[in-house]
Amino acid sequence: MKERLLSYISFLPSCISISPSYISILLMVAGLFWSPWSHAKVFETDTSKRMDEVNILSQAKKKIETDLKMAVTVDEFLASSQQISFIKRGAYAWEPLLNNMSTERSVITIDGMHIFGACTDKMDPVTSYVESNNLASIDISSGQQGSMHGATVAGSIDLRRKATPFGQEKKWNGQIQSGFEANNGQQFHLGNLSYSNERFVADASMAFRQAGNYQAGNRDEVLHSQFTKFNSSLGLAYKISELSSLRVDALFDQAQDVGYPALPMDLWLSRGLISSASYKRLFDQGILKVWDSKLYFNAMEHYMDDTKRPENLVHMDMPGWSNTWGLVSKAHLIKGQLSSEIQLNLYQNLSIAEMTMYPQDRSNRTMFAYSWPWVHTQYAGISLSNAWLLSERSQFNFGGSLGWNRHHAKYIEFNHIFYPEAPQTRSRILPALHATYMLKLGPIQVSTGAGYGQRSPSVSEAYGYYMYNSFDRYDYVGNPNLDNETSYELHASLGYDTPTKGIHLQANHFWIQDYIIGKILSMGSPMNYQSVGVKGYTALKRARLFNLSMNAHYDVLTHLHWSGKISYARAMDDQGNNLPFIRPLSYETGLHWMHRKFGLRAYVQGDLAQENYSPSYGEDYSPAYQIWNLSVEYSFNWQKSRAKIQLGVENLFDQYYSTYADWGNIPRMGRNLFTSLTYSL
Amino acid sequence: MPGIGFKQIKMKKIMLLMATLSIVHYSCTKEKTDYEAEKEREITEITDFKEVFTVQSGAYSIRAEALNGTLFTGYNTIRLKVTDTESKQPITQAELSWIPKQKLADGQLTSGPHNLSFSFVQEEGNDSGYYAGYLVFLRPSIPEQPWEIHMELKVNGKRILLSQQVEVQTQRNSNLGMVEFIGKDEKSYLIALVAPQKPEVGENQLIAGIFQRVDALHYVSVEGYRLELDPRMPEPSMGNHSSPNNQDLLPGDDGWYEGRVNYTMTGNWTLNFILRDPDGTLIKGSEVPKDFTPGVQGVKSELHIDILF
Repeated sequence: MKERLLSYISFLPSCISISPSYISILLMVAGLFWSPWSHAKVFETDTSKRMDEVNILSQAKKKIETDLKMAVTVDEFLASSQQISFIKRGAYAWEPLLNNMSTERSVITIDGMHIFGACTDKMDPVTSYVESNNLASIDISSGQQGSMHGATVAGSIDLRRKATPFGQEKKWNGQIQSGFEANNGQQFHLGNLSYSNERFVADASMAFRQAGNYQAGNRDEVLHSQFTKFNSSLGLAYKISELSSLRVDALFDQAQDVGYPALPMDLWLSRGLISSASYKRLFDQGILKVWDSKLYFNAMEHYMDDTKRPENLVHMDMPGWSNTWGLVSKAHLIKGQLSSEIQLNLYQNLSIAEMTMYPQDRSNRTMFAYSWPWVHTQYAGISLSNAWLLSERSQFNFGGSLGWNRHHAKYIEFNHIFYPEAPQTRSRILPALHATYMLKLGPIQVSTGAGYGQRSPSVSEAYGYYMYNSFDRYDYVGNPNLDNETSYELHASLGYDTPTKGIHLQANHFWIQDYIIGKILSMGSPMNYQSVGVKGYTALKRARLFNLSMNAHYDVLTHLHWSGKISYARAMDDQGNNLPFIRPLSYETGLHWMHRKFGLRAYVQGDLAQENYSPSYGEDYSPAYQIWNLSVEYSFNWQKSRAKIQLGVENLFDQYYSTYADWGNIPRMGRNLFTSLTYSL
Repeated sequence: MPGIGFKQIKMKKIMLLMATLSIVHYSCTKEKTDYEAEKEREITEITDFKEVFTVQSGAYSIRAEALNGTLFTGYNTIRLKVTDTESKQPITQAELSWIPKQKLADGQLTSGPHNLSFSFVQEEGNDSGYYAGYLVFLRPSIPEQPWEIHMELKVNGKRILLSQQVEVQTQRNSNLGMVEFIGKDEKSYLIALVAPQKPEVGENQLIAGIFQRVDALHYVSVEGYRLELDPRMPEPSMGNHSSPNNQDLLPGDDGWYEGRVNYTMTGNWTLNFILRDPDGTLIKGSEVPKDFTPGVQGVKSELHIDILF
C-alpha cells in the first residue's frame, strides 16, 4: 500500500509540476532532450520504503551542470534552456527573460517562495541570490501554466533547492568543486555537505566566487566587470512521524564590489537572507496525498556605489531594500485518472529605494527623493492545476488561478507630481486559465493548448520614480493608473523520439492587451546626470509575441552524439513597431563523444544579425556572431570517492562580439580557458 | 568507530558556525533614511502665535502676535488684539490702521507693504478674536535704524495713537523670502512669498504678494498681473532640472497671488519668475532655457527667488 502511495507521489511531480510536455521543462543533467514519459516509468517500479521528498525525482544526477561546463553559475545553467534568454549588464547577475519577456511578466520563485529584488535597475535578479550548489533543479513553466505560482504572462521559473531525503544509505554525502577561469581570473570554490539518517537530515553549502575584469575578443579589458560573491545555506529537516516532516532552511548570500560595465554605477554591497520553515504531510488513505506548507521570510538589500566612476560628476547614494513575508501551501490530490495540485499563495512585500544626490559643493544640502516610495504589495491567490490521464497515450492538463493583489504607496506625493489624482492604494483581481492536450502516438508526441491570464503592473511600473535606465538613457516614471495586462496565448508542440534520434518543435503566440512599456513624457525633465529625458510607463493597446524553437539529437555512433537547436522570436506593438529585447534567430549545434572515463564536447553557438530591432524603444542593430566552444573531462576514483576533472575553452577563436541583449553594447567575453575539479564524498 | 564520530562533531561544529555567521553578518545593515526627519531637517514649521509686544495708551492696549513672537524680513502674519484696560474686555468693534516705519542712515523714512484695513476674525471655541493683518519688512532692524510700528485706533468715537519699536530679524527660511526690483516700466516692485512656509515634495500651493512702490511710505498690491512660474534645481549636479504641472500665480482672493509649485525632491530650488502686467507686457524676468545642463550651474531668470527645503 505504501509502495503504491510512494509511487503515486513520485509519479505526481512528473505529471503535475513538470507536466510532460514541451511547454513545461524540468531541466536535468542527463541531457537537454528527454522523453517525457520516462520519469513515470522509472518511479512506478520504485518500491522503496523510505519517506521521500516529493520533488526529488532523479536521485542519480542532480547537479546543476550544462553539457559543456561542470560547475556553472545559475545563470549559465538557465541559459541552456531554449526558452530563457538573458539581458546582461555585466559579468554577473543576468536578468532572465522567459519567452523573450522581461521579469515583470514572469514569476520567479525559490521553492515556491516569492522573492523580489531590491534594486530599481534590476541589478539583483532573484537568480543572483542563489548558487549552483544549493540548487537541485529549475522548473520552468511557460505561459499560463506558470500561474501555479502567481499571476504571470510569460510563465514561471521555480528554483528548487537541494533537499536530501531521509534515511540515505550513505549517511554523509558531500562534494567540493574548485575551478578557475582564465579570462577574468575567476576562481570559485563550492562545497556542500549533507547528513541523513532515519529521523534527521542536514544540508549545508558554501560557495565563493571572485573574478576580476574580463577581456573581450580583442583583448580589450572591460572595466568595472569584477565581482566577489559569497553564498551559504543550511537546511535542517526532522521526521516527526512516518508520514510527516518539518524542515527549516536559511540561505545567506552576499555580493560585494560587483561591477556593471553597462551601468553608470556599480554595486558596493548586496545581501540576501532567505529563510523558511515548512511542514509536509503524506496521507495513506483518501484522495489527498500530500500537504505541504511553508512559511517564509526574505530580506534583500542593495547598495550602489558610483565612487569608482571618475567620469561621474554627480555622486549619488541609491540604497534599496525589499522584504517579503509569505505562506505557500500545496496539496496534491489523486482520484483515479485525475491528479491535481492546489496551491495557496499569500505574501506581503515592502520595497523601498532611495536616491540621495550630493551637490558639487558638499557644504550645500543633499537632495532626496524615493525611487520606490515605500510600496507595500499584498497578494493572495489560489491556483489549481490538474492532469487528467485520458488514456495510455493522451493527457489533458487544465487549471487556473485567482489572485488578489493590492499595492499601497506610503509616499504617494512623489507619484502625484506626474499623476495628481492617483490613488494611494489599488486592489486588483487577477484571473488565469490554461488547458493543454497531449497525445502520444508511438514515437510521435503532439500537444496543443491555450491560456488566458492577467498580471498586475510591478512596483516599478506603477510607483517607480525617476529610475534611470541606462539602456535608452531615460529616467522612467511609474504610473499608478495602469490597468492589468491581459494575455491570451496559444501553444503547440510536435516531437519525434526514438532511442537514437529525435526532433522537437514548439511554438507559442501571445496576444497581450494593455502591454506596459515606457513612452516619452514631454512634460518631464531629466533628473539623473546622464539622462536625456523622461519616459513614463504607459499601456499599449495591443502587442503580439511569437516564439518558435526546434531542437534535435542524433546518435551518429554509439559513443558520438549530435545535438542542435534553433530558436526564433518576433514581437510587435499595435503600430507595427518591433518591441525591444527580442532574440534574433539563434542556433546551436554540437557533438559529444564519450568513451569510458573520458568525455569530449564541442559546440558552436551563434545569433544571426538582429534585423528586427526597435529604434523607437532605444535599440540599435546587433550584427551576427558565432562562438566555438570545446571541453574535455575525465572521471576517476580517488581514495574510494569519485572525482572529475574538466578542462575547456569557450569562444575558442576569441571572437569580439556583443549581442542584442547586452546593455549598452558592452562586448562579451573573449577566449576563456576554464578548468575545474570536483570531488564527491 | 572514533573516526566517524570525530567527523560528525566537526561537521556539526562547522554547520553551527555557518549558521551563526549568517545571523551575525546580517545584523549590520545600512540605515534607511528617516524620511520624516529628512523633511524636518531644513525647516521646522512654526504654527504658534506668540506675543511680539503689547502697547498701552490710556484705556486701551493693543497686543500684537506673530509666529513664534518674532518679526522677520519679508512677509509676517500679525494678529492684533485690542483690550479695554479697565474692564479687561476685548474690543471687537474698532477701526484700526497702521504703518511700519524705519529711519534710514540719511534720515529718510521708509516703510513696507501692509494691510490698509483690518477685519475682525472670531476665534473658534472661545469668545476672543483678533484683527488680522500683515507686515512686510524690507530690511532688518539694527540699533541705529530701528523699526517702529505706528497704529491708529478708533473706538467709541475716540482716536488713539500708539507706537512701538520692534526688532526685525533676517528671515532664515528662504520659503518666506522676497525680492525687490525695478520693472521695465521704471516702477519699483516687491514680491514677497507668503506660503508655503514648509514645502512638501509634490504639490504645494504657492502664495505670494506682489506690491508696487508708490513712494517711500506707500506700497500697493498690484491688480490683474500674472506671475509666470518656472521652478528649477540650479545645482550643477541637477542640471537645471524642472518639475511638471506647475501653475502660474494669478490674482486670488484678498489680493494675494496664488499658483502651484511641484517639487520633485528636497534640496535647493530656484523659483524663476516672469512678471507681466494686465496687458501681458513684460515687467521683469527672462525665460530659462529648457535644456538639461548637468555639470554647470543652472541659468536663472532675471527675476527669481532661491528656496531650500
